[in-house]
This record gives sequence, C-alpha cells and structure tokens, in this order.
Amino acid sequence: MKRIALTVALGLITSAQAQKVQTPIPIGVALAQTSNTALLGQEQVIGARLAEKFINARGGINGTPIKLIFQDAAGDENSAINAFQNLITKSAVVGIVGPTLSQQAFAADPIAERAKVPVLGPSNTAKGIPQIGNFIARVSAPVAVVAPNAVKQALKLDSKIKKVAVLYAQNDAFSTSETGTFQETAKAQGLDVVTVQKFQTTDTDFTTQVTSVLNSDADLVIISGLAADGGNLVKQLRQLGYKGLIIGGNGLNTSNIFPVCQKYCDGVIIAQAYSPAQASAANQLFVKEYRAQYKKDPPQFAAQAYAGVQVMTDALRAIDRRKKLSQWDLDDLRVELNRQILAGKYNTPLGELRFDKEGEILQKEFYVAQIKMKDAKNGSFVYLK
Amino acid sequence: MEVSQIIQNLLNGLAIGSVYAIFALGYTLVFSILGIINFAHGAVFTLGAYFTYTLVVGQFENNGLLKGINLFPNGSPLSGNPWVFALATLIGAVLAGLVAVLIERLAFRPMRARGADPLLALVSSLGVALVIVNLIQLLVGAEIYNFPSDAYGQVQPALSFHVGERVVIIRTVQVIIFAVSLVMLAVLGYVIGRTKVGKALRAVAENPGTASLLGISVDRFILITFFLSGFLGGLAGTLVGTAFGVAGPYFGVTYGLKGLAVIVLGGLGSIPGAVVGGLVIGLAEAFVPSQYSAYKDAVAFALLFVILLVRPQGLLGRAQIQKV
Repeated sequence: MKRIALTVALGLITSAQAQKVQTPIPIGVALAQTSNTALLGQEQVIGARLAEKFINARGGINGTPIKLIFQDAAGDENSAINAFQNLITKSAVVGIVGPTLSQQAFAADPIAERAKVPVLGPSNTAKGIPQIGNFIARVSAPVAVVAPNAVKQALKLDSKIKKVAVLYAQNDAFSTSETGTFQETAKAQGLDVVTVQKFQTTDTDFTTQVTSVLNSDADLVIISGLAADGGNLVKQLRQLGYKGLIIGGNGLNTSNIFPVCQKYCDGVIIAQAYSPAQASAANQLFVKEYRAQYKKDPPQFAAQAYAGVQVMTDALRAIDRRKKLSQWDLDDLRVELNRQILAGKYNTPLGELRFDKEGEILQKEFYVAQIKMKDAKNGSFVYLK
Repeated sequence: MEVSQIIQNLLNGLAIGSVYAIFALGYTLVFSILGIINFAHGAVFTLGAYFTYTLVVGQFENNGLLKGINLFPNGSPLSGNPWVFALATLIGAVLAGLVAVLIERLAFRPMRARGADPLLALVSSLGVALVIVNLIQLLVGAEIYNFPSDAYGQVQPALSFHVGERVVIIRTVQVIIFAVSLVMLAVLGYVIGRTKVGKALRAVAENPGTASLLGISVDRFILITFFLSGFLGGLAGTLVGTAFGVAGPYFGVTYGLKGLAVIVLGGLGSIPGAVVGGLVIGLAEAFVPSQYSAYKDAVAFALLFVILLVRPQGLLGRAQIQKV
C-alpha cells in the first residue's frame, strides 16, 4: 500500500514538474471587476484588454499570441487570494498583473511569492510592496514619489495656504500609507496640519468629518481614499461650504469620480504618474486606441494596467529569442520571467521604465492635474506645469 | 467643542437619525404583525434607490447585463425639477413596497402556512436579501450610481446662519430628508392610530386568531403591512441615495444592521420607539468625536449594548410579562 502511495505521489510530482507552458501564452490578470473598488478596477481591465489586443495584432511574442486570463479580485483580501490561487494552479499562468489595491497585494502577493510566480502590481502604491518578495514588482510609482508634487502645486496656486486638514480611509492600507506621506510633505513645506480625520471606504455620510474641517479653518484639504468615498467627501465638503483647495490622492485619480462629486469635483488637484500628453510613441499609440474606443482620454489606471501587460510581454519576448517559450517548463519560465522583468528596459505609455533589484519601478516623469468639469457628469484632468 | 459645532452636529444627527427612523419603522411594522425580523428590508432599501434612479436617469453605464441601456435617450420625463423628482421618489417607494409584498408571498406566507418556526422565516428572508443583492449586481454592476446633483433644485446650501463668528450650514438634502421623514411619521401615526386600516392592523398584531374571528382578513393585512414596510424602506433608500449616492448593491447592508440597532434600542415592535431609536443613533453618530468618526458604526452598537444592559426592553418597549 505504502509503495502504491509513494508511486502515485512521485508520479504527481514528476507530472507537476513536467508541466509545459501553454499556447497562447497565459498571463493572469487579477483586478477588481466588482465591489466599490471596481470604479478603479474596470479602468484597469480596459487597459489590460487594449494591451492584449495591441500586442496580438502585432504578432504577439515572436509569433505566439498571448491570452489574458481574468479573475475578479474584487476589493477585499479573500477575493484577491482566491483569484491568485486560481490563476497559479488552475490556469497555469506565467505571471500575474494585479491586484488593484495595496491592501490586497499585502495579502495575495505572498501566495505568488511562495509559488515563484512573478507579479506586477498595476496600482499598488503603498510603502513596502516590492519588499513583499523577490517575485513582486510594480508598475505604479510609489505614493512617496508622486504625492509631494500635488502639495507643491497647491502652494503655487495659493501661496497663502497655512493650515491643512487631512482626511483618510483608515480601513485601507494604501490610504493610510499615502496620508503619512502627505502629512510629512505638508510639514516639510512649513504647513500646519490642524486636523486629521479618519473615515471608512464604505462610509457615505461624512458630515461629522466635514464639520470638523470647517471648524479647523483649514485652507487646504488633502484626501486619501478611494473614488467612491473620496468623491462623496469632496461633494459634502463643498455642499457644506468649504471653499479652499482640495488635493485628492491616488485613489481619486480616476474619471470615475466625476459622476460621484459631479460639479463639485471642479478644481480638485491630483498628482499623477501618467499623462495622455506624454510624448512617447508607445503612449501616443495607446491614447489613439483608447480614444477611438472610449471617446475620451485614457486614465492613469488604464495606462498602468496596459504597461503591466506590456512589460510582461516584452520580457517574455526577450526570453523567447533565447529559447522558444513552448520548450520551457512552466516553473522554470516563471523564474526566468521574473529575472528578465527586473533586467529589462521598457518603453510604455508611462514613458521609459526600469526596475531596481527589489522590483521597485524607476520612472522618469510625473504630473499634477486639476479637474475641470464640463457639465454635471463629464470632466477632464487639466495638466499643470 | 464650540457652540456652532454642537448645533451643526445636532442638525446633522437629526437629519440622518430621521431617515434611520423611517427605515426602522419598516422593520417594526413587520415585527409587530408577524413577530419576526425581515432581513430582506435592507435589500428593499437598496432597491428603492435603484428604482428611483431608473425613473430619473435610466442609464446603466457600468458593468452589468443592462450595460449600455438608456431608457430615456431624450431625457427622463421624471427629471428636471424637484417636484417631478418627488413624484419619481414616490413611485420608486411604491415599487419597493410591491417588491416587499412579493417577498411576503414567496418567502413568508409558505412558511406561515406550514406553521414553520419563525427562525426559518428569518433565514428565508436572509436568503431573499442575498438573492436581491446579487440580482442587482448582475443587472447593473457593482459600481456607484448617482442622482443628478440638481435633483432637489439648485438652492445650495439650503440654510446657513451665524453662531458667533462661525457659520452653520445645512445641505438642502438634509432639510428634505428631515421634512419628508417627519411627514411620513405623521402620516403613518395617523393611519395606524386613527383609521380603520390602522385599527385592523393593530388587531392583527395583537392576536391574529381573534382578528380573524372578527372578520378581518389577516393575510390581506399582512400584505398591507409588508407594502407599508417596503414603501418606507424604499423611500429611505432614495433619500439616502440622493444625499450620498447609491453606493452599489450592498448599499443597504449597513443600514439594515443599523435599522436593527434602532428598533432594538427603541423597543421591539414600538413605533414611537423606532423614531426615538433612530434619532438617538443618528445623534450619537453625529457627536462621535471627529478623530474617531471612522468608528461611528461601532459607537452606535456600543450604545445599544449599554442601553440594553440597563433597560433590556429598549427605550420605549414594554417589559415582557411571563405568565406562569
């Protein structure tokens, strides 16, 4: 009996080791297609799909097409973990682009790390993401790099700003990380942080927080949250009479907040890691495709997801030139893909990208935009110099 | 805390508390008649908001089966000014009431007919709630839908006055929520207390068997109760939705739990208790120190726990007398 069990076990191990790479090449995409995070996730799904279409239309990986396998990572940790597990074991993907939130990345990335599957975070901007493991990298510039630009720009627009109110979603790892950066930046700029208010990403009624902000006489408000709660907070701040400048963090960096705060979005300042105006050929192609399909400029989240798929494909193409992907064992290819991702240089819609040895993105260009609303639902990000 | 801040918090608390009250009244009505909690009430609350949204906007742009549908390419006839919006709200609430009637027919009546344990009806209502929430997600996606910002007209803020050097401001929508809630409470109080229907409802609540012997159609009045309950729940959903946006299919879950807290706090089955409970929880949330306001839900339930320790029957509930 023991001998049979041993034979079966050895057989299973051998067959697992012998698993070859499928064609078309499966790349996992674990993003928020549902939940209140879907406001961001849907943009990322669009970006990833555009990348798949664009790459396959141009011959895929040296003639072999790629196939994106989507799993809904929703907005919570459990869904992200399930999505990662399904992609790694059932779909046998070579690498994963996702998840949407940093909070989810801290829970799901270790699963990929243990399975030695490379992960590219398309919007995980909290401190410590690349440090989760050797197989974890990101195409989203950390908040510590992007956020200070917004504060400096606000001071340029209104040099009289002295008092700052800071609000953040305390149940979201990214927002708590981002608010730390914002508060440090504000203090470094000589501003007085007069009140720090917390809320939850699921909250809808912010009157308590807004009342405190109004009583603090703040002349700048900085919000770290997600699109739904952040947009609602902006709306209630304006409706209850706040007239000063508002800075939104990365979670508010999406055109999906326009229908949430509607005309009250007008004037909100947002630091961004992407601009449709970025001049590279890769970006201009992406913008053209996006505009043709959606009749508006692509948002940052779409561009970053596009860049994630593109980086993975470019790295696979480099490997394929040395040895055809179909001849690799899946486990070996995953390790090699991770090495190649970190070694390469990529021309993406975000501009030229590289990674440091930990998987942190090295990006050259950043932007600050101000929201201008055309009507109750439609607006645009106007880039400030 | 400054006087202006106290007044501002008081007004904010009254506005949100009044909507808690009308939402919780829906729970209370069903509990008074059947002695069970209808866990689908939160889902009906969500539906009310979606129904009104459909009547007023009629566009589903997000990720669901109805994606791309635009019911009113030339603009909704139920949009454009506050009075027409009020009509849409009313129709939305009526539709929510009809859904509640359907829930009674499908989930409660079969159980009652078989003399099932009330606990089974409770689980059945929980199942209905999950089905509704998932259906909404399937049809219109998980994203937020927003009413037009001028749904209540352009007068914003509605009310502002000075207290010392500070200005206290109340949003239009807060005033409307408060006013509509007061009107609804008055109408319901009149219907229950002064009309034949109200008397019959009270008789069914007191003893369905005796009411039946008196010629009252118990099943019909149970349906009326569910309709009123759904109407109130749906109306509350639209009021909250216009104030803060319809925050996805799970929009009603938190309100459902809070509604439970309200009726337990006020006293199970007590209509004035639901009103007092709603206002107490609304005010308690508004007065949570702002640095802890992210924990206001926990504060509401902690308050409930403390009050129940002192007064287990709730603020206005009657103590149960056990006859031996």
